[in-house]
Amino acid sequence: MNNFFKNLGKNEFYKKLLSEPLTYIAGAVLLSVFQIAHFAIFKSGWGVTSAFAIWGAWLYEAVGGDVSQWGYFSSESMQKTLKAGFFADGGSVRNLGIIFGALLSTLLASQFKIKKIKNLRQIIAAILGGLLMGYGARMANGCNIGALFTALGSWSLSGWVFAVFMLIGAYLGSKLLIRFFM
Amino acid sequence: MSTNQAEASTSSGITRKKRSARKPKKSQIPLGILLIIGIFTIGYVFYNQSPKLAMLWFFGLAFGYILQRSRFCFTASFRDPCISGGTTITRAVLVAIALTSIGFAGIKIGAEGALDMAGVNPIGLPMMIGGVLFGIGMVIAGGCASGTVMRVGEGFTMQMLSLFFFVIGSLWGAHDMGAFWNKFNENAPRIYLPNAVGWVWAIIIQLGIIIMIYMAAVKWQEKKLGSRD
Amino acid sequence: MQEYELDCMGEACPVPLIKTQKKMEELAVGDVLVVHIDHSCAVKNVPEWARTQGYNVEIEDVDDGEWDIVIEKNK
Repeated sequence: MNNFFKNLGKNEFYKKLLSEPLTYIAGAVLLSVFQIAHFAIFKSGWGVTSAFAIWGAWLYEAVGGDVSQWGYFSSESMQKTLKAGFFADGGSVRNLGIIFGALLSTLLASQFKIKKIKNLRQIIAAILGGLLMGYGARMANGCNIGALFTALGSWSLSGWVFAVFMLIGAYLGSKLLIRFFM
Repeated sequence: MSTNQAEASTSSGITRKKRSARKPKKSQIPLGILLIIGIFTIGYVFYNQSPKLAMLWFFGLAFGYILQRSRFCFTASFRDPCISGGTTITRAVLVAIALTSIGFAGIKIGAEGALDMAGVNPIGLPMMIGGVLFGIGMVIAGGCASGTVMRVGEGFTMQMLSLFFFVIGSLWGAHDMGAFWNKFNENAPRIYLPNAVGWVWAIIIQLGIIIMIYMAAVKWQEKKLGSRD
Repeated sequence: MQEYELDCMGEACPVPLIKTQKKMEELAVGDVLVVHIDHSCAVKNVPEWARTQGYNVEIEDVDDGEWDIVIEKNK
């Protein structure tokens, strides 16, 4: 059985169809097609990080906190989303989909591997980077997707301004990375 | 040759002294097939709850699959020009922005104003500070939001940790946004280019910026790496 | 001709690329560098960079999600 799948994985047609990396341009075209379809169907563009704030609120509630008085979560629709739970929130389900879509892609290419954390440096980088991105994304009302890709596609001038400031951040981050996290 | 049996010549002619021990490989394709079955089962469960949820599930899957398969990385589009000078991903992101702009324009015009402000964000101080913080964070953590989620699916434990703190940071940011930063967005302009300057100028500005950055990106890579592609 | 190894297992972008660039500077013409990598994006951007520099590059599958990138400093 294993041999059959090993040979299948080596088959030229299979490799072209399901395992060899696509070019960046092919990725750009496909992402655009799905982004446009997303906007056509749901009347809103793709976003990733607003669901993270809701996940945070659930975590906070799980340890006994209460966010109902926070300005960010006080609106009626937000309260409804918080009550309905993970599997009723579209943004959360879509993010879960990204995880499983990526997993599927690596499995079909037979390239999945659990990559362990190597050292303390990586732990600090992950914690610091995660916190900065989370906080920054809430201030900017989105990430690379919501505040950049979707905003620019939506002809919002904010996307270009965001890009300038993110480039400044990426430059500073690169300096920090080379200095402290290599 | 008998004294150096391990020496092997690869197809491009590079001679290696030794190779890494090749472990017996087990194909992961059957697991992939099981996952496809699982994905459709979950999709069916979502569909029974609400068709919209099932569609979002499949959109997420498509985005994750495309990001992984093409190694698309929004972080790299900003970081690589800073570090290596490579701009191939930057140019691909510009292509995606251009295509999406065209598609969204059709939908927005078709909606006759109802969707004009969809996806349009206020340009204020919080966005600028947030952009810088986000930019620093994504380079240090080795992936932005979509990249981090995608790498969790690829099996990176480091990104699982970073996702957890991304969520904590989002909660913190949501708190401070509601309590403090929002004040700075009260007078911040939300500019939808076609309404602000008309479609002709909007197209000139949007496509002009895209083409300018694209050309600068080509020049930058030539300068830094001595090659266009 | 010398052969060097560089362990980039568990490292995410851009660390493998930066380490490779640094290491390649130390090599003499004719030397070979073998980079051990388990990050799918680095398998794309490390060889891409090496090719822009005109080096010979070879990618070898070692295991599921593990690769050796062999770079020859041929000039």
